[in-house]
Amino acid sequence: MDQRFGGGFARLAPYVYLTPGLLLYFLIALGPSLATAVFSLTDATGLPNLPVHWVGLANYKEFLTLGAAARENIAAILRTLAFSVAVTVVQFTLGLLVALLLNQKLRGTKFFRTLFFLPVIFGVTVQGLMWSLFLYPIGGPLQSLLHSLGIELGYLGGQPMEAFAWVIVVQIWSNLGITMVIFLAGLTTIPSEIYEAGLIDGTNRWQRFRDITWPLLTPTVNTNLILTIIGSLQAWQLFLVLIGYKDGTQVMGYLVYATAFGATTGGTVASFRQGYAAAASMVLFAFVLVIGMTVQFLLRRREARLLG
Amino acid sequence: MTAIVDLDRGAATTASATRPKRRRLDWGHVVSYVILIALAVVYLGPMLMLVLTPLKTLPEFQKNAIGLPDTLNLSSFANAWDKANFPRYLLNTVIYTVSSVLIFLVTAVFLAVAIARRFVRGSGSLFTLFVIALFLPAALIPQFQLILRLGLYDNPIGYVMLFLVNPIGVVILVNYIRTIPVELDEAAAIEGCGYFRFVVQIVIPLIMPAIATVAVLAAIGVWNELILPTIYLSNQDYYPITRGLLVFYGVYGSDWPSIAAAVLMIAAPMTVFFLFAQRWIIGGVTAGAVKG
Repeated sequence: MDQRFGGGFARLAPYVYLTPGLLLYFLIALGPSLATAVFSLTDATGLPNLPVHWVGLANYKEFLTLGAAARENIAAILRTLAFSVAVTVVQFTLGLLVALLLNQKLRGTKFFRTLFFLPVIFGVTVQGLMWSLFLYPIGGPLQSLLHSLGIELGYLGGQPMEAFAWVIVVQIWSNLGITMVIFLAGLTTIPSEIYEAGLIDGTNRWQRFRDITWPLLTPTVNTNLILTIIGSLQAWQLFLVLIGYKDGTQVMGYLVYATAFGATTGGTVASFRQGYAAAASMVLFAFVLVIGMTVQFLLRRREARLLG
Repeated sequence: MTAIVDLDRGAATTASATRPKRRRLDWGHVVSYVILIALAVVYLGPMLMLVLTPLKTLPEFQKNAIGLPDTLNLSSFANAWDKANFPRYLLNTVIYTVSSVLIFLVTAVFLAVAIARRFVRGSGSLFTLFVIALFLPAALIPQFQLILRLGLYDNPIGYVMLFLVNPIGVVILVNYIRTIPVELDEAAAIEGCGYFRFVVQIVIPLIMPAIATVAVLAAIGVWNELILPTIYLSNQDYYPITRGLLVFYGVYGSDWPSIAAAVLMIAAPMTVFFLFAQRWIIGGVTAGAVKG
C-alpha cells in the first residue's frame, strides 16, 4: 500500500504534505488547549516579560473558596447551568417541533426554513445589535407592544435576571436554525414505508410520532442534545454584545474572558490574571466533560435499548 | 399503490383519487401554519426593525421608534459608511477571510486525503484528535501567550494564523473522501502519477462539493469572529467589521438610525450570500453534526 506512489522518497510524500496542517493544528489548537491545564497552575499575566511562577493549586483554591469572589464564582457556575438548561430545553423542543411541521407537504416550507436558519449566519455581533434595537426600551417594537398590553419590563437595562432572560431568548432565536436543520436531516432518513404501514393500522398523528418518529430519530436526538448542551455551557458572546459584563448576569465563559483579557477590551496588561483565568476555564471544562459524558452515556444506553 | 399515498407523515396529500372532491379543511395543517407564522413573526420582527430604522432621522426615531418614516432618508447610510470607517473594516474582513480560508483549505485537503486513505501511520488516531477538538477546553489563554511570545500580537499575520485550524472542516473532508472508491487511487498509482498530482488533479475535482461546504463554513466563522480581534488587535486600522461595528455602537450608542444602517449594510449582503449558498451551509452544518 505504501508503495502506491512509487518507491524511495516518493513514499514519504503523504507525510510531507500532511505536515503543515498537522503542525498548525498542534501549535494553534490542540497544544494551547491542553496547555490550559498547565497555565492554570501558574501566575501568568497578560504581559510577556513578567516572570511566571508555579503556584500549584492556589488558583483553584482561590476560585472556589476564597471569600466574596468565590461566592460570585459559584453563582456564575450555577448561572451557567441555568442558562444551559433553559436554552437546551427550549431550543431542543422548539427545534424538533419546527422540523416536524416543516417536514410536511406544506406550501412555503422552504421560506420558513430559510427564515429560521438565517440568524445563524449573522454571527453574534449582528444578532446582538439587532436585538438591542428590537428591545429598544423607549417606544421600541416590543416595548410598545407590551406597553399597550399593560406590561412594563426593564429589557436589557433592567434587573439582572431580566437582562439574563433576554439573552436566553436571543441565544435560542439565533441558534434554533441549527437544531432545526439537523432534525430535518434526521427525519429524511426515516423510510416512508413505515409511516404507510402505520396509516394502514389506523394510527393517529400522535401515535405515529410516539411509536415511529421518536424512536427512529434517536441518533439525531442524541446529536442535537449533546451539541446544544455543550454549546450552551460554553456560550457567552451574546452577553458581551447585549448587556456587557453586568453584575448578576455573568456566565463562566464570560468570566474567563473578562479575567484574562478585561471585560470589554483586549490587550496586554499585567493585571490580567491569566493563570487564574485558566483555572476558571478548567473548571468550566470539567463541567462540560462530566455533563457531556454523563448525557452521552445515558443516551447511548437508551439508544441500545430502543434500536438494539 | 396510490391508495395509500394519503400517508400523513406530514401528510403527503397529493390529491389522491380516493379522496372526495369536496375539499376538507385539514386541521393539522391549519395548526401547523398558525405555529409557523407566529414563529415567523418573532424572526421577521427584529429584521424588519433593522430595515426600517435607518430610513428615519434621529429625531424621528426618538419621537416614534416604530412608526414609518415621513420621508425616505438615506443619510444614515452615508453617515455610517464614513463615521464607522466602514470601507476600511470591510476590506480588512475580506482580506482575513479570503487568506485564512485559502491557506486552511490547502493544508486541510492534504491532511484529509492522507487520513482518509490511511497513507500515513496512525491515521485512525489522527482522525480522533480532530474529532475530540469540540470537547476540549478553550485554547484562548495559552494561545494568547504563544502569539505574544512570537511577537505576533497586534499583527494581521498573527491574527490570520488563528484561523488556519478548523477541526470540523477536516472531519467533513475526511468523511467525504471516504465515500470515493479506492479504485481511483490504484488506477492513478498504476499510471505512475505522483502524490501531489494525484491529490490536485484527481482527488480535488471529486471532492469539490465538500470543499465548497467547508470553505463556506470556515468563511462564515472568520467573517463573524468578534472575540479574537478584541483580544489580538489593538490598532484600529486592523479591525475587522465585527469589532468596528461594536466600537461604533459604543461611540454612537443612541444614534440608532446610523447604527442600524451599519448593521444592515453587513446583514444584507450576508443574507443574499446565504440565499445562494444555502445548500452548502446547511449541508455543512448537518454533515458536521453527524460525526458525533
